[in-house]
Amino acid sequence: MVDLSVRIGSLTMRNPVTTGSGTFGFGSEVADLIDLNKIGAVCVKATTTHPRTGNPAPRIVETAGGMLNAIGLQNGGIENYLSEKLPYLRGFDCPIIVNVPGEDPEDFAYVVERLTEAKGADAIELNISCPNVSHGLDYATDPKATAEVVARCRRATTLPLLAKLSPNVTDIRPIAQAAEDAGADGLSLINTVIGTAIDARTRRFKLANVTGGLSGPSIKPIALLHVHRAASAVKIPIIGMGGIMSATDAIEFLLAGATAVAAGTANFINPGVALEIAAGIESYLRANDFTDVSQIIGAVR
Amino acid sequence: MIRRTIAPTLSNTPLDAPNHFVMTFHAPELAREALPGQFIAVAAGGGMQILRRPFSVYSVDPEAGWASILYSVYGPATSTMAKMKPGDELDFIGPLGGRVFEADPDPSCHHIMVGGGYGVPPLAFLCRNIRAANPNARITVISGGRTKNLLVGTDGLEEIGVTLEPCTNDGSCGYHGLVTGRLEEVLAEDQTAHQPSYVYTCGPTPMMKAVGDLSIEKGVPCQVSMEVFMPCGVGICMGCAVARHDGTYARGCTDGPVFPAREVKW
Repeated sequence: MVDLSVRIGSLTMRNPVTTGSGTFGFGSEVADLIDLNKIGAVCVKATTTHPRTGNPAPRIVETAGGMLNAIGLQNGGIENYLSEKLPYLRGFDCPIIVNVPGEDPEDFAYVVERLTEAKGADAIELNISCPNVSHGLDYATDPKATAEVVARCRRATTLPLLAKLSPNVTDIRPIAQAAEDAGADGLSLINTVIGTAIDARTRRFKLANVTGGLSGPSIKPIALLHVHRAASAVKIPIIGMGGIMSATDAIEFLLAGATAVAAGTANFINPGVALEIAAGIESYLRANDFTDVSQIIGAVR
Repeated sequence: MIRRTIAPTLSNTPLDAPNHFVMTFHAPELAREALPGQFIAVAAGGGMQILRRPFSVYSVDPEAGWASILYSVYGPATSTMAKMKPGDELDFIGPLGGRVFEADPDPSCHHIMVGGGYGVPPLAFLCRNIRAANPNARITVISGGRTKNLLVGTDGLEEIGVTLEPCTNDGSCGYHGLVTGRLEEVLAEDQTAHQPSYVYTCGPTPMMKAVGDLSIEKGVPCQVSMEVFMPCGVGICMGCAVARHDGTYARGCTDGPVFPAREVKW
């Protein structure tokens, strides 16, 4: 018998695989293709204080081994989430992680409070690192700004609080420590890597937003290093993500020090991938005579 | 119901148009459930391209349990597909698409399909459904291409009583000019004859915009099947944004791909 369950603060996941925010909708869209009752947790699309229309098109371009997105956090807002999206997802036996971006600490805290009082989440992921909506500064590129948002939201909820960190930094360790010190129960990393794409034929940028966030297999080496570095700097658990397409990819993140993992872009190709990854992790543990997933967390030599 | 299916291919036939193929595959559920305008998202080993590629359903045979797509080779995934032999497996998700072509129920309606290139296949599917529902329905397909051998997707339609109106840029077949030139004439004829008409269009975006604008100008209802890059096809990535006049963005895949022309902000 292999124990696949992991804990992120007070959140227990039956297996260590969740979904990257913005790559799984609100679950209902893909319910034909995956059993939501078996998934480790569902992390839903970013939810903001007010509805957001998102960025102009084109919003996504494919790149070698990945894609750039500049969606711009299109969503119906927190009240729409609570009334229209949450009831459906609560019909399944799966923990819900809600990704929360914000304009400033008070804006973050407002959504965190609403989610808490409305029992709209089992954990909250603070999106302090979205590359597509920043006003020149992502919170997660600065330890002080990171601490400010996390500390404000810590006062607003007792739910497990994750800080989603940016890879677009020189050294992730001080930022990871700042989030831990400010009261985060865990870290999610990495968010997408900022980049752009140009069309030689038309001599135009391919994205209307010019810049976008790179995701997919091409960013996995970047993500693995950030996860490993952050894990060496903090005691709180890490949800590792960035280019995870298979169980082997996920196992590499666990070895690097992640307690759990998220499939992101892979959902676009195979919305059932989270359960395939969980099954693959179980097979690997069994084949290597491990009895508990915790035995391989941070076990890279 | 949306399924991921690994379907054995039955045939993969090159057309007269260079680099165009029709692939049929065994997929009983898809053949039973797919509607005109719906599509499948195919994973076909595109090397460094990892995303699936959407293809409109071209034809179905619910009794025999097969469906087909018509595609042209333009990148790594379609190059892989072009090499597939009968028995090779096609990995697809579908049927996809939340809003599909809906035929005007008026039995006296003149159904006018306006297609360009590989935008014609879903219109051919719609023609067959309209014919099956109404043996007397008047159906015309105005299809455009640069030259004669690039006109694809209309095979077998004349046999079921569909009027074909090919249009070519070089005059090598049918009307010499753009599809909108011929559409304008057809709509004028209908108007003179007090014949109600309805336009359905699929093809390159500039063509559909011109068709949509002309239909709106003439007061004829028009449905357009939007040609936008669809990274996921199931409504989770929000990448296939279609701008609407109300200032919001719809998802091309699940809110569409078919929209009333008047809703779309081009």
